[in-house]
Amino acid sequence: MHAHALWKVVDRNDAAIDPAEAIAFVSDPGFGGLDVFIGKVRDLNQGRAVQGITYDLFEPLVVAGFERMAADVHARFGPRVKLYIAHAKGRLAVGDVAVVVAAGTPHRGEAFAACRELIEVVKHHSPVWKQEHYADGDSIWSEGCTLCHADDLPTAPLQGGQAADPREPDRT
Amino acid sequence: MTQVTLQLFGAFSDLDPAREICVDVTGAQVADLRATLRRVLPERWPAFRAGLLDYSAFADSERVLRDHELLPADGRVAILPPVSGG
Repeated sequence: MHAHALWKVVDRNDAAIDPAEAIAFVSDPGFGGLDVFIGKVRDLNQGRAVQGITYDLFEPLVVAGFERMAADVHARFGPRVKLYIAHAKGRLAVGDVAVVVAAGTPHRGEAFAACRELIEVVKHHSPVWKQEHYADGDSIWSEGCTLCHADDLPTAPLQGGQAADPREPDRT
Repeated sequence: MTQVTLQLFGAFSDLDPAREICVDVTGAQVADLRATLRRVLPERWPAFRAGLLDYSAFADSERVLRDHELLPADGRVAILPPVSGG
């Protein structure tokens, strides 16, 4: 953790992610632009009614990855940028906050770009898995991006709002 | 022979309630572990979709390990199926 970046995993059994904490962290008297992405559990996926999601994480690697991702984005947009990442762990209900990423910069353009870049790498490269629980009692592990070639994947820059990894259909 | 304690995540966590299994690997590289699992998974868990292995990576607690790399000295390896965070 550094003065310019804060990252954490939040166990739902202990607390909920607080977007206000993200806003407070990335705020600075010299920053006129703050961008916050909030990912929440929704009630429908691919036509199936969802009751909740369990997030499984390999926590040491997630935390190490968040640090590296924040450092990469800071190197691209810094030095005047502050970044925040929080991801939930455990069972969440519909409407619960699963992830918050935020960026603060002097102007809005860098804030939007840094926040977008950060959420894309968090989603596509972090060892996090979600098991969706459906209203009919079934539960299924979602499969997204393979990490088999993680070292080969660029950490953006993104172009035209596309996801960082075209193999992953972005359903957020 | 290398004894590996394989930590299970995502869909692989359904294999064992303890969320880890012990595997005797012939060889010392990550590729040897993958080859061993390709043989062992269908034997021990015939109902499991073993093809998921082809899209899964391996890691220690600090980084993803490539197939040509040596297995960690402490024998603890995590198997990482395709990720789906956020």
